Order: sequence, then C-alpha cells, then structure tokens
Amino acid sequence: MAELWDGLREAIRLILSGDSYLRDVAFRTIVVSGSATLFAMAAGVPLGYWLARGRFRGRTLLLSAVNTGMGMPPVVVGLVVWLMLVRSGPLGGLDLIYTQRAMVIAQFIIAVPLVVGFTAAAMQALPEHLPDLLAVLGAGRLRTLWLLSREANLGLLAAIMAGFGAVVSEVGASMTVGGNIQGSTRVLTTAIVTETSRGQNDRAIGLGIVLLAMAFAVNLVLTLVQQRRLR
Amino acid sequence: MRLARLLALAVLPFIFAAVSACSGDDSATFKPTPASTPTAAPTPTPTFGSVPHNVGGSMILATTTSTVDSGLLDDLVPLFTKITGTEVKVIGVGTGAALDMGAKGDADAVLVHAPASEKKFVDSGDLIDGKLVMHNDFIIVGPASDPAKVKGLKDLKAALAAVASFGPFISRGDDSGTHKKELELWTTAKIDLKTVKNREETGQGMGATLNIADQKSGYTLTDRGTFLALKKNLKLTILFEGDLSLLNIYHVYAVNPARHGGVKNAQAEAFVAFMVAPEIQKLIGDFKKAEFGEPLFIADAGKAEDAVGR
Amino acid sequence: MEVRFQDVRFLRGARCILEVPSLKFAQGRVTALLGPNGAGKSTILRLIAALERPTAGTVWLDGASASPARPTRAKVAFAFQDAVFITGTVRSNLDLALRLRDLPGEERATRIAAVAEACGIAPLLDRNAHGLSGGESQRANLARALCLQAPLTLLDEPLAGLDGPARQQLLRELPSLLRTFAATTILVTHDRDEALRLADDLVVLIEGRVRAAGVKRDVFRSPPDAETAEFLGYSVVSSLEDGLAIAPGALRIGEGDVTFDLTVEAVADLGARRELSGWIAGTRVALPLDDGAAVPGVGSVMLVSAPRTAVVRW
Repeated sequence: MAELWDGLREAIRLILSGDSYLRDVAFRTIVVSGSATLFAMAAGVPLGYWLARGRFRGRTLLLSAVNTGMGMPPVVVGLVVWLMLVRSGPLGGLDLIYTQRAMVIAQFIIAVPLVVGFTAAAMQALPEHLPDLLAVLGAGRLRTLWLLSREANLGLLAAIMAGFGAVVSEVGASMTVGGNIQGSTRVLTTAIVTETSRGQNDRAIGLGIVLLAMAFAVNLVLTLVQQRRLR
Repeated sequence: MRLARLLALAVLPFIFAAVSACSGDDSATFKPTPASTPTAAPTPTPTFGSVPHNVGGSMILATTTSTVDSGLLDDLVPLFTKITGTEVKVIGVGTGAALDMGAKGDADAVLVHAPASEKKFVDSGDLIDGKLVMHNDFIIVGPASDPAKVKGLKDLKAALAAVASFGPFISRGDDSGTHKKELELWTTAKIDLKTVKNREETGQGMGATLNIADQKSGYTLTDRGTFLALKKNLKLTILFEGDLSLLNIYHVYAVNPARHGGVKNAQAEAFVAFMVAPEIQKLIGDFKKAEFGEPLFIADAGKAEDAVGR
Repeated sequence: MEVRFQDVRFLRGARCILEVPSLKFAQGRVTALLGPNGAGKSTILRLIAALERPTAGTVWLDGASASPARPTRAKVAFAFQDAVFITGTVRSNLDLALRLRDLPGEERATRIAAVAEACGIAPLLDRNAHGLSGGESQRANLARALCLQAPLTLLDEPLAGLDGPARQQLLRELPSLLRTFAATTILVTHDRDEALRLADDLVVLIEGRVRAAGVKRDVFRSPPDAETAEFLGYSVVSSLEDGLAIAPGALRIGEGDVTFDLTVEAVADLGARRELSGWIAGTRVALPLDDGAAVPGVGSVMLVSAPRTAVVRW
C-alpha cells in the first residue's frame, strides 16, 4: 500500500518537474502507438466495411479469423515480427529490427483485427439500403466510405479507442521488436518493466500512472467527439 | 462542419506522430539525462588513440540485463558514439539469449559475463577477438538477523551449506549470468538443489529478486552493483564476500563476419577496441565510486585470465 | 429516357427471379410496374439502376447499357421503398443528392426550395431527418428523388406505409409532381388503384414474368389470362366455359349485355352504401345495392349483368 502512495508521489514529481526522461518516453509512446493506430484505421476501416457489406465466399471464415485475431496475444505477434525482422530472418536485410518503425509494424498488426472487427460490427448495424442509396446518388467508393463512416461514427470511435488502448498498453511486442533502448525505442510500458526489474517500484508505478493519464486524456477527447455527435 | 474540424484536431497529433515515426529518426527530440552522476575530478581531454574514429553506421550490442541495469553503458555508449560516429543499439536480455544472438548473427558485438557458457561459442568460431574487460563480484546477502549464521564464515562451501540447511533461498531462476553462477556454486559445493531449504525461483531481474528476498527475509546471491544501488530500500545486509569463485568476469566479443554475412564488423571491432582502451578502463574503474564509496567494477583489460581478482 | 429489357434473366443462386425476354418503358411516360409482393418488381428497378447485374441479357437506357458508371447513374433518380437518410437535416439530405450531381450552391438552394414547396415539406427542411413521421419521411424521400429532375425517375412503392388521409393526399398530388419534376417515370406498386390513378402505361409482373404490358386502358381491358385478370381486380369465373372474367365494379342488378345468375350470400351495410355479395358459379362477387332496393333473401338467386366491354373471355 505504501508503495502505491510512493508511486503516486513519484508520478506527480515526474510530471511537475518536466523530467526529460519521462518526456522522452511519453512522447515516444504517443508517436509509436498513435501512428500504429492511425495506420490500423486506414487499413482496417475499408477492410471492416468490405467484410460487413461484401458478399463473397468464405466471408464467415474471414470474420471468424478477425474475431480470433482480436484475442491474439501481443507477445506472440512481437515474437513473429522479431523472427521476420531480425538479422538472421527473412527480412533481416531491411535493418528494421530494434527501431521505432518495427514497433509501429508490430503494434499495427495487433490493432488491425480490433479495428476491422469493430468497424464490421458498426457497418452491419447501419440501415440495410444506405450503401445502395449512396450508390444511386452517384457517390464514388471513397465518398461512400466517408459518408458511411460518418453514419457509423459511434462504432468507429469505439474502434479507435479499442485499437489505441490495446497498443499503448502492450509491452511484449514493443519489448521484443524494439529492444527497449533508452533514448531510441523505450516507451512507457517497457520503461515500467525496466524499473520493476531494477526494483525501483515507485518509479514503475509513477510511470504507470502517467501512462493511464495519457490513455485517459486520449479517450476523453474521443469520447467528447463521440458524444457531441449523438446530439 | 464542426464535427470535421473537431476530428481534424483530434487526428492531427496522430498524423504528426505517423510522420515522425516514418522519418526514420529513432531518437525522439528529447535526449534523456544520463542516469548516473558525472564523476567528480576533471580529467584532461582523452585522445582515444587506440579507438578507430569516423566509423559511422550503426551496430547491435547484445548484453545482459544486469549490465544494462548497472548504468555503466549509459555513460560509455554515448562516448563511443561521439568518438566513432557509430550508433549503438544496446539490447539487454538474458545471458543465454545474448550469446544466442551472437551465434545467429543477430548482433554485431556481445558483452557478457559467463565465461563457461562463452567458451562454446568461441570454440565454434561464432565469437571472435574476445577481450577481458572488467569484473565485479557476487555476494551473498540475507536478513540482518542471519538465522543461518552465515556471517563470519570464511569458507564459501561452509557458507553455502549453512544457507542450504536453513533457507529460504531466493534464486533468479531466469537463465541469467547470476542464475548460472548460482547453479555453478551449488554444483561445486556438491550441494543438491533439492536439498536447499525453501529454494524459490523468481524468474525475474536482480532488483525484483532482491525485493522478494527482502520481503521473505531470505538469502540470495546478487551482484554487488545492484545491491549497492538498492541498499537503502532493503533490510538485507552483506553476509559473505570475497571468494574467487564469486568473481563475475566480463568479456567483449565481435561476431564472426565470416560465419554471418550481415554483421557490421568494423563497428564491432571498434567497440571491442573501445572497451579495452586505457581511457575507458579508467572510467570503468571510477564508475559510481563517489556515490557508493567503493568501485562497482574493477578494470582488467590486458591481464592474464587467471590473474583476475588476485 | 427509354428503357429496354432484352433477353434478361436474373438468377439468385439457383432460383430464377426474373425472366423478361422483351420489355419497353416508353420515353416521357409514367409506367406503373404492378404485381403481387415478391414478383420481382423491385429487382427490375435495381437492374435499371445498375445495383444488380442481369445473369443474362442486357438492360438498355437510351441505347447505352445500364451501368454503375457515374455518367449513367447521373441520369437516374431512385426513391427506395424504405426511406433512408444520412444523419442531418432534411435540407442536408437533399443538398447531398444535388452536390453529388455537381450542382453549384445557388442552384441547389433554388431546387430545394422549389421541390420542398411542391411536395409540402418546406416546414420540415430544417428538421432532423431521422425524426420524421412515416408520411413526412415518404414525402422527403420523394422530394429527394424529384429534386434531381433526372431523365429517368424510379419510385419503389412511393405510398408505402402511408395510411388513409395521408395516402389519399399524396396520391392526388403525385401526378402533377411527376409532370413537373420527372421526365420518364417507372413506379412500382402492388396496389391496383394506385397504378390506375398514376400511370399512363401498365406492366403486370407475376412471378418474374411479364404478363401484360402496354397502354393502361388496353392492358386493363384485355387481360391475357386469368391470373393477370385476377390481379387486376377482375372476378374470374373459372367454371363457366373456358375462361371468363368480369371487370371490377361492372356488375349491376338486373338485365344487361351479359347476364349471370347470382346466389345471394349477404348484404353488408358499409355506412355510405350497401354491398351485396354472392356466388356466380362458385366464384364470389360483390356489387352495390341501391339504398331503395329491397334486401334479397340469403340463398335466393338474382339476375345480374355487366356491359359487354367489361367481360373478357379466353
């Protein structure tokens, strides 16, 4: 219990002092997880729409695969990506291992099934003839996707929050493919692991509180947007 | 279109983030302050004549978590980068994993402290140009009350037997250098693991393991450096030290480019030269001496292997 | 715009939904596509709007085949049976339709004002499109199609879901609305009365096949078979000779061109009038009973007749 209070005090001290280690790690967390989520939305929303509305063989199979993918352990994704990108692996020549880009790739893979799943559910809930209506009105594919996304925006905002929440809080993949290198690939979650393994529990809890505060801030903005839309 | 504007505002930081991530600049704008306090006495600017300059590029250094946690590399690596222009990706994993990375060519240089395990990779030719760098030592710590009566014993075997018969003993159990050393010690003392009273494996780092030993008033084997760093938060004290078997000896190797095509050999050799350069050896010897009152590491470059610690 | 179906077949899975070897919708006219539910009427509209592709054959729009390409789509306005709107006001929904036709702002505003006035939805323009009543949303749906003033206007059950007075009102207004805003119109309905009031031409579709097509009067007066006649409201008396049908509302008590024996079943008092129902050779028929006339006994046989033009034989 005392350690939790210590952690809270440490968190406040870190934030108020503008500690540069914290700023470095927190900024990188936003950059990596934010861009991974953005890319996952760019790929996942059209895929989710196609899955929801398309009529093709094997659609149910694909939907099940996506739902399974939502529960995929991030550490497993990290291991597979690591095996691909490491020097001795098939894509070793790309020199991507232990870089931020590798972390974005791994987090992208983790987030996509979530985004696709949530988007598909949101699109399926739309009125049945809405895509047809937009088609006959003459909306092109991109325009249709945009308009439908606006209609399904509650579900899509849930998709962003789910995707971001999953990747900003995961540690296994980020650790494995990023290497937790200070000043280069260390993010909040991997920094917490480092502090814990060194026995610095109060710093670990402090960083944890910062991470929670950051995730809360992002979700607050998104929820505000979502709730305004309802009105 | 208020919604559009709101969404654009919300998405803008993410777009900025994406661009940052893609620009290939891995270090964020902020550079963290080094973890340790700078050494006290000002020294004349070293010339580092033995270390190649203008090497450039980047390399991967596989080392152990305890080496990273000691903070030594936080001081040395930026200096290396300044001299050679080479970016170093320091990957801290278990000893086994670090040696494995060397064996597969997933790292360019390896810095570890498990000579018995290293031999295999030297013999196979995967690790070349190995140099002795430094050593620190392991100590046995336990509760101040010392129910097993370890304190005062002069013989390592006797101390181990005392701990084994009383317990509890907290082990790293994570295949790290410390863990391997612990197993080695039990074997040499001819003590069967199963007979060690209340032996538990935490599977975690040294700091976490010390915390657990502290909670359970147990005994554990730890490197001096980590203990010194955490001493103020622990109720454990040093109960046995000094035996030659407790030495923790560090070597640095380059990964053989003949066996693994993609390794950055020029950078790795520069790192090897750097670690044994006289100026760096002095820095190693002075590391955290002011903070703890005693040195964390003893620099050994150039010595014969069996002269270490005597 | 003239629409032509050539050797069209449409299959869904193994089922043949439509088989239309030849069908023409004349330019500049209102054609009602009439048939029971599930006949395939909506499918015909979807094929014209290129929302589906025929399994075989071609649908021609003014000599070019129907396609989802933008220029072709721009010529067709389609009001679906269920009125779907995007989130926003009625005005923004109409505006979207016009924006997608690349019309400039001023013209969009003018058109919206004009069609809203004509369709009676001007006070609804700034209301949330999802908060409208059934009748209001049907009108808004219609207005959205009409404001496009397309060469071809497709309406799928434009009076669906409307009850009593609302339906009657829109039914009265539609012909002039179509004359003002639509060039060629094809409207789908299962309601005979609607079809007869609104259309110039009639196409009867039953179970995926065209049973009759042509000018309303010709189709109505000469149904080609019993099934079509029955759908058009005729009383088909099957057991008499080979095939005979009596046009709806044609029967009267007493002498006439063609006479029948009616076995009285009941007299119903419908408030403003009375209706006599009975059997002509096993087929149930109904005809009006004057206020002054005496009520015949149940089971009694009466002489009833219909004009020559109202009786069809095959």
